[in-house]
Amino acid sequence: MPRVFITGLGFVTSIGNDAPAVSGSLRELRHGFELYAPFQKENIPCKVVGTIKGFQTDSVDQEDWKWPARYAIKRETLRTMAPHGLFAHCSMLQAIEDARLTPADVSDPGTGLFAASGGSPMLTAYHHNRMHQQGVARCSPLGIVASIVGTLNFNLVAAFRILGSSCGFSSACASSAHAMGYAYDDIVLGRQKRMFVVGAEDGNLDAILPFAGMRTLSLQTDPAIASRPFDAGRDGFVGTGGATVLVLESEEEVARRGVTPYAELLGWGQASDGYNVAISHPEGDGSAAAMTRALAATRVAPEAVDYVNAHATSTLIGDVSEARALKRVFKDSAARPAISSTKALTGHGLSLAGAMESGFCALALREGFTPGSAHITHLDPECAGLNIPRATLPTAPNIVLKNSSGFGGANVALLFRRA
Amino acid sequence: MPEQALSNQGGNKPFVALARPFAPEDEVALREALKRCSPSTFEAAVQYRKTGNPEHVPAVVIGVIERFVEPDLRIKLKDADDDLRLIEDLGIDSLTMMEIVILVEDVLQMTINNDELRNLRMVGDVKTFIDCKIRGLPLPKPTKFMPIEGIGSVMPIQPPFLFLNEASVSSTSANGKYKISGQEFFLQGHFKDNPVMPASIMLEALGQLAVLFLLEGAPTESGKVISPQSIFFTGCEGVRAHRICKPGDILTLSIKPKRMKMPLATFEGAIRVGQEKAVIAEEITLTFAYVDSDFRSDPRLSGMTQPAKGGEEISPSAPPLRAAINS
Repeated sequence: MPRVFITGLGFVTSIGNDAPAVSGSLRELRHGFELYAPFQKENIPCKVVGTIKGFQTDSVDQEDWKWPARYAIKRETLRTMAPHGLFAHCSMLQAIEDARLTPADVSDPGTGLFAASGGSPMLTAYHHNRMHQQGVARCSPLGIVASIVGTLNFNLVAAFRILGSSCGFSSACASSAHAMGYAYDDIVLGRQKRMFVVGAEDGNLDAILPFAGMRTLSLQTDPAIASRPFDAGRDGFVGTGGATVLVLESEEEVARRGVTPYAELLGWGQASDGYNVAISHPEGDGSAAAMTRALAATRVAPEAVDYVNAHATSTLIGDVSEARALKRVFKDSAARPAISSTKALTGHGLSLAGAMESGFCALALREGFTPGSAHITHLDPECAGLNIPRATLPTAPNIVLKNSSGFGGANVALLFRRA
Repeated sequence: MPEQALSNQGGNKPFVALARPFAPEDEVALREALKRCSPSTFEAAVQYRKTGNPEHVPAVVIGVIERFVEPDLRIKLKDADDDLRLIEDLGIDSLTMMEIVILVEDVLQMTINNDELRNLRMVGDVKTFIDCKIRGLPLPKPTKFMPIEGIGSVMPIQPPFLFLNEASVSSTSANGKYKISGQEFFLQGHFKDNPVMPASIMLEALGQLAVLFLLEGAPTESGKVISPQSIFFTGCEGVRAHRICKPGDILTLSIKPKRMKMPLATFEGAIRVGQEKAVIAEEITLTFAYVDSDFRSDPRLSGMTQPAKGGEEISPSAPPLRAAINS
């Protein structure tokens, strides 16, 4: 069976804008939350967001944006971007440098790119309002490619001259985990030797606030306790945006280029709840099935898993559903695996979440630590019996499982191993 | 068809925005729209909106184009050379062109149809186009780009004495390029062991570009065309050679008509190599004559091609012409 490795990472997240900063936040459980200025209004019930620092993308005019000076981006490239396109472009540059890829490696028929984002509600709203108010003749010719779902892959594939497979994934909060899984498949099937996997979200008012309509956002005003997966007092998720890029490569490419991988992506599994458009299955059926399939596909015994990076977003129903699924898969072996949700630090990145948290798992595997689950003061009794460390452990995991679930009851489980 | 383009002026009315006086809130909106343009662009736009004087339009148009050109290419716009090509020289793609148009429409309060844009290839085309729109004049014939095959098929002059590799012809000027290959027969003797393009040949090349202008660009009376057989050189004034041109040099030729009244057409012309002046001709005068337009539409009467047996025509791009393609 061909093997697939993670050889490069790039991050623009609420807990850091490069791998060292992210790693530091994970070790010290530093969260990325702030009272988000656009939310500080009477008619907006939620106040906290996992904010992206060092970027300014509030304007609908890309040329007003600010970003760290180390990234050179031309107007021609910028003008078709959504905010999350900018985050992802910078993460791509990091990942390419981190993986030590040459321009020829990047623009090669054997190199593809799979991406996931929810599009740009902010730019969609702006261009649609302009169209209704001023007529379509006064609309930017580039409004569509900057805003619709798919803007992420359109922009990155063009900007980085990608020649291999390219596709966007849309399964809500499981999207970029799906992108990981199918990128793995493309390499294992011999279609590609290298894949960029990109997750990104705007993480601004237009992207996050609509979830308050579903009553799924935390109404907490204290940034330090707003996101607390598995805690009895949790009251919803905290939104975030940003981007993460992972470079996946075949064993041959790793050997040819002589690079040290972060981790091996062993394989994956997926299953659907077939239950509700927005609510997780109460017993976590789909999630348990996805984990079981991933373990079977990779021939890993449940007892061999050292750490689970949970999907747990800090919602009432979702966290319990996943806890029940974990209990079923890992039986009552309370000693292992360690389980945590890093969304306690970052917030919920929606389409970005699967890729971002896969990146965290890659850091944990290479650097030898087990991220803790922050902000738990009273563990939800439903989680009793699960091993949920509340601080980051200096223990190096060998095998890590990453869960992701999205609307419609889509569940993905990814398995990683120390390289 | 250029004739259609000329007659299709339904939407090209003189614009009426000035019916309403320029209000302070208009100035605010204008400042916002032009916030990434130079202050002089904004000033020109304000003057235009206040007075309706089309003289301010070129500064607005150049200012808007400049704003969409990558900073390292903007220096090219400093000379405001009308021959600058939007795509090749300034890196403006069709989407950027749309951005330029939307801003120009907004700032000058006019409407431009998509099909009017297709023929805008050079900075000068854009300026002329906007100027015609604002004055309510008919739009000029689009600039026509002609590769060597196209030039050879209309010109009475043929290889090895044709000194144009490519040309663009509009109703107001013509531009061409010729690369001195070193294989030109006369370079064997001009000079001994030192091939230099004769100045007389460079003047000839300018004359050939003027011939091409008469055949492809010059406005004519309806139902009439200029006969290729009627064009001859009559005289020139103020010819100066500034630079020795040798094999490998690419001559950039340009001519503009100064006066044109049958049977005489007078042009000014210049040849550059890169940014260096090579030859200036203050006046080159040719004779020409009109014939009925059905004359040239029949290739057998044009003298350019001969009907071959079996109805096949000898292709105008047959081997002799290939010698003129130097790239």
